[in-house]
Amino acid sequence: MLELNHIHKYYNAGTVNEMCLFEDFSLAIEDGQFVSVVGSNGSGKTSMLNLICGSIPLDAGSIRIGGKDITSMPEYKRQRRIGRVYQNPAMGTCPSMTILENMSLADNKGKPFNLRLGTNRQRIDGYREQLRSLGLGLEDKMNVKVGVLSGGQRQAMALLMSTMTPIEFLILDEHTAALDPKTAEIIMELTDQIVREKHLTTIMVTHNLRYAVEYGDRLLMMHQGKAVIDKAGEEKKAVLIEDILEKFNEISIECGN
Amino acid sequence: MMMKKMMSREMKTVMAAAMAAMVLAGCSGSSGESTTAAPADTTAAIEAASAGEEAGETAGEAGDASYVIGIGQFAEHGSLDNCRTGFLQGLAEEGISEGTNLTILYENAQTDGGTASQIMDNFLAKDVDLICAIATPIAQSAYSATKNTDVPVIYTAVTDPVLAELASGDGTPVGEITGTSDKLPVESQLEMIRTLLPDAKTIGIMYSTSEINSESAIAEYKAAAPAYGFEIVESGVSSAADIPLAADSLLEKVDCINNLTDNTVVSSLPVILDKAAKKSIPVFGSEVEQVKIGCLASMGLDYISLGEQTGKMAAQVLKGEKKASEMNFEVIEQASFYGNNQVAANLGITIPAELADNAAALFDEITAE
Amino acid sequence: MSIVIGVLEEGLIYGIMALGLYITYRILDFPDLSVDGTFPMGAAVTAMLILKGVHPAATLFLSFGAGVLAGCITGIIHVKFKVRDLLSGIIMMTALYSVNLRIAGKSNVPIFSKETIFENAFLQERVPASLQPWLITIILLVIVIVCKVLLDLYLKTRSGYLLRAVGDNEVLVTSLAKDKGMVKIIGLALSNGFVALSGCVYCQQKGFFEISTGTGTMVMGLASVIIGTKLFGRLGWVKTTTAVILGTIVYKACVSIAIAFGLAASDLKLITAALFLVILVLSNRKERKVKVHA
Repeated sequence: MLELNHIHKYYNAGTVNEMCLFEDFSLAIEDGQFVSVVGSNGSGKTSMLNLICGSIPLDAGSIRIGGKDITSMPEYKRQRRIGRVYQNPAMGTCPSMTILENMSLADNKGKPFNLRLGTNRQRIDGYREQLRSLGLGLEDKMNVKVGVLSGGQRQAMALLMSTMTPIEFLILDEHTAALDPKTAEIIMELTDQIVREKHLTTIMVTHNLRYAVEYGDRLLMMHQGKAVIDKAGEEKKAVLIEDILEKFNEISIECGN
Repeated sequence: MMMKKMMSREMKTVMAAAMAAMVLAGCSGSSGESTTAAPADTTAAIEAASAGEEAGETAGEAGDASYVIGIGQFAEHGSLDNCRTGFLQGLAEEGISEGTNLTILYENAQTDGGTASQIMDNFLAKDVDLICAIATPIAQSAYSATKNTDVPVIYTAVTDPVLAELASGDGTPVGEITGTSDKLPVESQLEMIRTLLPDAKTIGIMYSTSEINSESAIAEYKAAAPAYGFEIVESGVSSAADIPLAADSLLEKVDCINNLTDNTVVSSLPVILDKAAKKSIPVFGSEVEQVKIGCLASMGLDYISLGEQTGKMAAQVLKGEKKASEMNFEVIEQASFYGNNQVAANLGITIPAELADNAAALFDEITAE
Repeated sequence: MSIVIGVLEEGLIYGIMALGLYITYRILDFPDLSVDGTFPMGAAVTAMLILKGVHPAATLFLSFGAGVLAGCITGIIHVKFKVRDLLSGIIMMTALYSVNLRIAGKSNVPIFSKETIFENAFLQERVPASLQPWLITIILLVIVIVCKVLLDLYLKTRSGYLLRAVGDNEVLVTSLAKDKGMVKIIGLALSNGFVALSGCVYCQQKGFFEISTGTGTMVMGLASVIIGTKLFGRLGWVKTTTAVILGTIVYKACVSIAIAFGLAASDLKLITAALFLVILVLSNRKERKVKVHA
């Protein structure tokens, strides 16, 4: 279980530009839940992910995973249990290293980075199999530098790499937003498949309302640091795109645009 | 295909860069002629050097054939320039003069140790008959570059050849390398200061921590000072930028300032002189150039005659009269008095007759550099 | 011939230094100015140890260790105290000037009369006279190759992978649950180790330590790395580490040519800058680097 308790977060605290993002925000996510998060720009979706991962500090409140307080744990230590895929496909891979080297890097997550050989030869076949499952032909390009791959191919690799080792949480930060519709579709299906297979607790931020409705078993809509829609289980299944759009328009009118 | 295209572009890059280098080299060659004292025409020097390769081989037998000397100077600096001028004069007095039977290749390392050793490699590649190294670090570079060759090295302006391991404790050379030392005449300088300032107690000395010559000079001053009733106050700086502040604080503590041959300090001497003049504190120099620009007086070395002496040693080696390894390094014995009447008048001091009468030169005005 | 040997010697000595700069500049993307201090530090440590009677070969390792220490400090200043990369290097370079004077005791320490890895009784007895002119080059070549191979091997280890990743994409390193700051410190330590080793070899070959030898180390190293990677880097069969060493030799050859053409040494830096610029401009292929904006 992931718990956000009474989170407060301000930007530019103490200046005239002070902006309150979260004020007493709380959220609990059950193990195994697949949460889709939608919301307008600046609604706090990505900031929420950053707070969970520890990329930005919070001003008050606490974050717990499985009952354990991780509020003051540095970002890199939290990542041991978290896999994260970013909007920018370049963020999840190393462009100047080969596919094989990237796979090995990901495979070594959680192990000590010592002077053992970076690539374990016995595992190469395993990597090849996993790449084959992507269906993008990457298994034949093991020694090609990732920098020459397309955005979709890189994002597929990023997804694969972030879920390669045992993790508890998968954080997807608009991970299909920078891709063309067809590739986005492929990546989304792949995501669903991986999440199901590994039973990962997943938080997916997306601007694609259809994905939010189609995938996952809980739907959150964020606005001004609050969840204005939060539906799970059967309720979630009943949600239609139109419902969310309506809410969006309502919010927009409130804001005066 | 792609790769080949890239490569050819890279090659063009290198060619362009090399050409740029050559063009600049050309420019500096011609401009160098007009600005530096050394009358080395670079392009002519190169031609002569390649000609010298052939001529050089016959030099030994013919005796009065032409010679090629590579002069490597560590820094651009009045005393060192004087050394070089004197060196050429010394050679000329022995019948070896530039333009007739001597070609000079002159390089200045601009205080860069890496450049110094490449200059030496370059001299060796051009088959010079002798290398003249001016100042300690480049003399060491010359020694290590020529160790396994038979090219002799003559150095000058090396304060302590023994400490620099260019000569053994008894003064004999460590190889085909010898020359002259510009060891400061510490005792006579102290004596002169005592004569001019009978009441002075403390002498301030400023030096830069990166120059080994200065450190050994300070040690010597400290050892000799008590005998003349002086106490030495030293002040170390790490760069020219520290000098104004260091000068201010030193001037608070001392009755007079004595200047060494420290390159960093000498190049900022006008700053020190200006501050000292405002407080009416006399500054003593270590050689004639410093007295010209406003030091009160100096028992100084004449770097021109030091260079001349060095040039004569080089001539002996070139003519085959002696090998470099057979000559101990030489020190100028006689220090001579230089004084500046204008500075003395400003300070309200009269230079006593006993000094003035034996002066090598007295200046009546302060020349700005 | 001697000019060729001279260029090779200089190129190989500074090649070790360039390997170090390759780590910081190309792999870590960190312009590390502390090398201007660690190069003479390697020389100072060596001169001091040799005078104390330490075996010349042992000084190679000890000076490497001294460089590692200095690199760690630069890394800690940058990572822990959050000082900008260039500034951390400048701070370290400035501090090392005094440290070097302390280590060596004075600004110029000759070791002409001592045995070095290039000149000792052991070699004199065993090396035939015909090989003598090439002796230094051969010894240097051995040292450089050992350094290069070790670095290549290291870059293939898990730790090496991480080092390459941190310069490429810091975010990924964090995603791998590794402290990117620690990885940077390791990289800087290694790099400065190589630079100090280069200074050690320089000191032994030239026969003296001189405080001024470090000036411009970083610029020279950068020029070598860039020349090397641009000229030879894209030949498939040349490893980048080899390219960097070849780059240093090319750089030194250029300097030699410049001097041979009668170029005043005062203009040498200008030539370096021009060469640098021309190569950068004519081959401006921007490296694809991921900048952090998470």
